[in-house]
Amino acid sequence: MPGNMIMKNAFLHFLTLLLFKQKGKHIGAVLISVIIIFLLSSVLFISSSLQKTLLDTLEYQSDFTVSRVQAGKSVTTPVDWVDKIIEINGVTKVAPRIYGRYFFAPREESFLLFGVDFFDEQSSKVFESLVKEVDLKSFLTTESMLVGSGVRSFLSKHYYKENFSFKTPKGSFKKVKIEEVLPSQSGLISNDLILMPIDLSREIFGLEENEVTDITFNVPNDAEWDNIIAKLHLLFYDIRVVEKREIKKAYENLYNYKGGLFLILYLVTIVTFMLILYQRYSMVYSTERKEIGILRAVGWSIKDILKLKFYETVVVVFVSYIVGVVLAYLYVFIFDAPILSQIFLGGANLTNHVTFVPVLKFGLLGSIFLFYAIPFLAAVLIPAWKIAVTPPKEAML
Amino acid sequence: MLKPFFVLITLLVFMVGGVSMHYLLSSHAPENTMISLVKLTGLVSPSLSVAYYEPRVLFFEEAVNPAYPQMQPINKMDLVYAR
Repeated sequence: MPGNMIMKNAFLHFLTLLLFKQKGKHIGAVLISVIIIFLLSSVLFISSSLQKTLLDTLEYQSDFTVSRVQAGKSVTTPVDWVDKIIEINGVTKVAPRIYGRYFFAPREESFLLFGVDFFDEQSSKVFESLVKEVDLKSFLTTESMLVGSGVRSFLSKHYYKENFSFKTPKGSFKKVKIEEVLPSQSGLISNDLILMPIDLSREIFGLEENEVTDITFNVPNDAEWDNIIAKLHLLFYDIRVVEKREIKKAYENLYNYKGGLFLILYLVTIVTFMLILYQRYSMVYSTERKEIGILRAVGWSIKDILKLKFYETVVVVFVSYIVGVVLAYLYVFIFDAPILSQIFLGGANLTNHVTFVPVLKFGLLGSIFLFYAIPFLAAVLIPAWKIAVTPPKEAML
Repeated sequence: MLKPFFVLITLLVFMVGGVSMHYLLSSHAPENTMISLVKLTGLVSPSLSVAYYEPRVLFFEEAVNPAYPQMQPINKMDLVYAR
């Protein structure tokens, strides 16, 4: 038993000696593997985090959104549709919405402007919980708005510190006070958002009193959903209905193999990984051939050689995998993924200030590990075994 | 060479431990502010920083080409958000 322990220690000593004295042999493969695992894990961390956040918040969205279409495009919806929709049995919480993009021509940037009906009891309660510092009554007495952090920094940069003047379609200017900035934790949704009273937004967009952007409503009984859609299509002929379940399905399948970004990423990963495998495979055949022959000549068995190569490769695989995944975690969830987040959220308009909610999919991480470790081990062990089974004299040639 | 090997292993354990601690201690639910905003606006779409002619609200808006409406519209986010 003590002899076995010494043997184990001697083996470990020899293994570490091989790893550290010949580190030049491993450093290239480790570096490339770390970069590939880092890139793959970062993209998957961002997509998982976005997907989870959006699916969780989707629970609070209305079941249906109805808008009018003309020549295949969404146009303003008549507000009297609200009364007709309320009359359908099983429908609750019918609410008209006004929102759209306000184009700031001098800089070619745009904001998402949303009109809220603050006289609705539910909306006023949510507003008070959202921005506790702002008093709703004083907010409504002056023409004021709440802005997202991206809008705030953009306006400050262009010297709109207290107010901003919106240009209406009639050519007049509407000066609106910047009351407060929306909490930065909601940046993923609110970065370019402006919230203001519904009448003010109607004036800025130049909508008539009887026009809204769309109408939302809930149907608490899921079994009635198809029936309600059929009724809507019988009531209105120029209608587009967006269902929550459709959006949920779309968000669930948001990042799959159809996405161009993911196709490119997987292709790059596979090709790079193939090159690493080829490098390991050919290295065992060329430079390690002599080493294996010597070990066989001094009495090492095939099993010992395979054990040595196995542990040597396992150390390389574990180090690259752990370093790659940990760096990706730090990059995404601590430093909020600079540059890569722009791929997911765009960079053509306002600068995004986003904090990602940490989400780890262990199944996915396990799959990456297996996809990386098994071929890597095979690329070393198969040639090592082929050399080890040949006579040492031949192997050293 | 056992010492540097154990230093390396300890370093890796610390890295994994640090990440695990951060993951366990941080909240995995979207902030209440985000939920309140969705309750208020009903818009779940991420705040996409896109050009004016590209859809800003995912799955609600459609891409248009303002200069040539008959042409295939440009939507760079299609690369990421495939339907």
